Amino acid sequence: MMTGAPQARSAGIRYVFPVLAGKLARFATRLRGGGSAFPGYLTNRLAPTLLPTLAGQFRYGVVFVLGSNGKTTTTHMISEVLRAHGLTVFTNPTGANLPQGVTSALLADATLTGRIRADVAVLEIDEGYAADLADRLSPSVILSLNVQVDQLYRFYETERVADMMLEASKRATGHVIVNRDDPYLSKIDTSAMRGEVSFFGVSPELVAASAHGLANAADTRSGNAGILDHDAFAEVVSARGRDVVVRVDGVDAEITLPARGLHYAADAAAALTVASRVLGPDFTVESAAKGFAQMAPAYGRGEVIPLRRDPAGEQVEFVMFKNAPSLQMNLDALEGAPERALIAIDEGTPDVSWLYDVDFDVVKRIDVVTGEKAYQLALSLEHAGVEIGVVEPDMEKAVALMRALEPAASGRQTWFVNYELMMIGRRLLGHGDQEIARR
Amino acid sequence: MTDTVRIVQLYPVELGITGDRGNVRALQVRLERAGVPVDVVRVGIGEALPADADIIVLGNGPLSAMRIVADDLRARAAELEKFVEAGRSLFAIGASAELLSEGVDLLDGEILDGLGLFPFRVARTRDRNVGYIIADAPFGRVIGFEDHASRWTLGPQAEAAGTVVAGKGSFSLDGAAGEIVRRGESYASNVQGPALPLNPQWSDAILTAVTARRGIAWSAGDAHTHLNEYADGARAAIEHLVHSKDFSTIGL
Ligand SMILES: [Zn+2]
Repeated sequence: MMTGAPQARSAGIRYVFPVLAGKLARFATRLRGGGSAFPGYLTNRLAPTLLPTLAGQFRYGVVFVLGSNGKTTTTHMISEVLRAHGLTVFTNPTGANLPQGVTSALLADATLTGRIRADVAVLEIDEGYAADLADRLSPSVILSLNVQVDQLYRFYETERVADMMLEASKRATGHVIVNRDDPYLSKIDTSAMRGEVSFFGVSPELVAASAHGLANAADTRSGNAGILDHDAFAEVVSARGRDVVVRVDGVDAEITLPARGLHYAADAAAALTVASRVLGPDFTVESAAKGFAQMAPAYGRGEVIPLRRDPAGEQVEFVMFKNAPSLQMNLDALEGAPERALIAIDEGTPDVSWLYDVDFDVVKRIDVVTGEKAYQLALSLEHAGVEIGVVEPDMEKAVALMRALEPAASGRQTWFVNYELMMIGRRLLGHGDQEIARR
Repeated sequence: MTDTVRIVQLYPVELGITGDRGNVRALQVRLERAGVPVDVVRVGIGEALPADADIIVLGNGPLSAMRIVADDLRARAAELEKFVEAGRSLFAIGASAELLSEGVDLLDGEILDGLGLFPFRVARTRDRNVGYIIADAPFGRVIGFEDHASRWTLGPQAEAAGTVVAGKGSFSLDGAAGEIVRRGESYASNVQGPALPLNPQWSDAILTAVTARRGIAWSAGDAHTHLNEYADGARAAIEHLVHSKDFSTIGL
């Protein structure tokens, strides 16, 4: 219906009405406490050229972050590393990774005439919409983190997720960045890409030393279940707790991760590859390390919150997971069995069959099992031989039960939670649900 | 030693995408807690099936994985036919159940030949059946999760074991929907969850048959209290969700 609209990518007065309408809609939905999809939808309808126009204004281009797991963390890492190099970064809030959410986020930052003041956009994007959004936002860099068995009810077959990521990657104008240690992604057809392909990875010694490797999906399609060998542009060469060394283009970056775990180290190598490709010769490992140091723990990834509102008292460490691989990698990164533990999943994860693929050996006991899926969780833990204290589906009561436990000698409880229950858990501990800790 | 029950998981790498290890685990744990020793053997492509297997468990996987195991599985057709015919226990979910059928008609017209171990035929469909499923079977109410794009057409000799109470099911049954095809002590179905941990009465039906055939004393007792209690809780939560007014399976 707006086919007659000019295609020029310069901003201007014709965007005032659509931007204003979108901003008003955004304000209205916020007042209602509702989602952020409608304003984006409205603006896209009123001015289909606005999105490309906004995207075309980033001097360093647009970066897409794709992957079954680690999108939020890696988007955060890339943003902080680029900021440490002096760039102004635009990024979308966690979960706003569908087209309307991305539009809505861009809209919030745009002036009425459709101008946006940032040097670069770093966007986490849902795999299912990546190619479509790439057509509209013309990303310069597309990063694909991993392909894991996840959201089968949505994507049906894991290899389709790989295909979606690689199909979108064809649209990257500058660089395509993929995980060398991912069976499907390692088989990328580099000749089909417009952009230069770079790999990141974890040294084979570190992967071998990890109890369950990197937990990426086996390739059931090509006849080679494993990875194809590639030299990594950035490779994790050492990992001790949160302290890791990533060799980036031959230079060692010594960085501190937001949380323990080899999957976070792999995310860091991915982030460093992206930053180096975006910045070119201006990239330095020193600034990169500064970026990681400034990174406040993203919600649920190694964040520590007082259990009883006493900052000097017992603390809760949130360990967030969304699927079997992320839960497994977090368990593998534990320093021994947690002294006091809670685990929670809500109904937002409808099929929890994958719980039976997780090796819970390191966890001896879970004090409270909670969330709408509490009994299914307890059932899988019981089959895994984990001792269970109480099953209490109500998260509020579960938190009360955890608070009533005798204080841990370690001064710390460990709560394994999915995203939604992490937000609820934080709120119940008195940490309101402000937006994700990203600037 | 002679009392050891041997459980085989066939193609755990290729066909194990929906927590299918949990079905093995349920049978194993229920036996072990009653004092019956269990040996679990994982058998992959090209590896021999132990001659004295008591239970064979197969799981789910993508179409690509079905293609990768198909030839190897077909090479075992006679061995598996003898196994099922002899009244031993086989438990197949999703993709593996499809391969053990008479054949799978794919959307593009291609046909994937099955082993004909179960008398039904599979047609892949454009629409996907996703959500909780509840079916009533002779061994009790089966509760789980379904996630498949297929319709099964049963042959005249096929024994349908379950009538669907909620959810889509895998085939038509007397004007209603059906789930689970049974042949002797072997089962084919699309119930995930995994099915056996969530449905102790189904596990016990299998284990009763196995232990009776082997002459092993076995019964569920106090040692199974937690397993049954958590399964009851999980089943009640799912039934409650399915029957609540505003529940609309999965928002796809
Ligand atoms: Zn117990």
